[in-house]
Amino acid sequence: MSLQDFFLIYGICLVCMLVCRCVPIFVLKGRELPAGVQRALNLIPVAAFSALVANDLFTPGMFAAGLWPAAMPLVAAAVVVVVAWKTRSLVWCAVAGVVVYAILLFL
Amino acid sequence: MRLMSSFDSVKSALAAAAPVMAGYVAIGLPCGIMESQIGLNALMAFVVSVTFYSGAGQFMIDGMWLAGSPVASIVASVSFVNTRQLLYSAGFAPYFAKTKKWLTFLFSATVTDESFGVNLSKFQQGEWSAAQATFVNLFCMFTWGVANAAGALIGDVVDIPTAIASFAMTSIFICLLVSQRFDRTAVVVVITTMLGVFACKCAGLAGPAILLGAVIGMVCGLLFDRASRRVVHRGAPDAGGEAR
Repeated sequence: MSLQDFFLIYGICLVCMLVCRCVPIFVLKGRELPAGVQRALNLIPVAAFSALVANDLFTPGMFAAGLWPAAMPLVAAAVVVVVAWKTRSLVWCAVAGVVVYAILLFL
Repeated sequence: MRLMSSFDSVKSALAAAAPVMAGYVAIGLPCGIMESQIGLNALMAFVVSVTFYSGAGQFMIDGMWLAGSPVASIVASVSFVNTRQLLYSAGFAPYFAKTKKWLTFLFSATVTDESFGVNLSKFQQGEWSAAQATFVNLFCMFTWGVANAAGALIGDVVDIPTAIASFAMTSIFICLLVSQRFDRTAVVVVITTMLGVFACKCAGLAGPAILLGAVIGMVCGLLFDRASRRVVHRGAPDAGGEAR
């Protein structure tokens, strides 16, 4: 793909992002969201991050090349879950994840 | 005197933003390295970072791009994931009822997962202004832009394996997931979303797997939530009777 494609992606994503970031605060000034909409919105972060994690960790046929190549990112992810649980820190999670992943990769 | 109080409020905004800024340096560097791998130079990385300004979004675009996903899939998945910003924006609405439009726009256009957390807790504690909250956002945004530009510069020189750099992104997503508030509905959403993503990939729908999986999870979560409310509702008169 070319840089032109990248800027197409970037431009559309930027417009969507600005709409999501700016519209509710202007529309809702001093008002409350309907309960049903609020409930659906509350589920977005959990669903979005679950999908991203699953997309990175699970692939059909992932164990075809052997147990360890597929289990290795899962082990590193389990360590990150513990670090996230204890620290709630993005930085410590990123550092722990990369370090553990790199160590396991070169074992 | 007034100048002094303005200086103090900027200083307190900087103090509130500092932990997030430190985090953005650490995460912005690998993000910039990935951006250099897809062909962005330092200036482009800076401009993208201070306008789009989304760690998860930028990592996703870079990762999906390097994986060869189609343009439409990247746009749909990234935009869906960013719809969580609707929630953040709605959450700040009560605190900006009397704020000028340009400041409301500048603030809301620069909210992220992390600055949302910092500013919302400051607003809840009281004595926090829209201007201070905007300064928090701008300090973090500028740091993110510089860290990405630096990463893009490093990425031109140092060759870090993509698998390792992209695991930083996976780790960030895991942290963001673990940091959510968990109840039974959220557990249902996590399980069904992950199964949904895997099922999409098995069915050859790897491109839209993130979007479709998340939608499947949300629908299952809403159905579960509705069903459990009905159960609670049906059980309510008995519970009330016991209380009496």
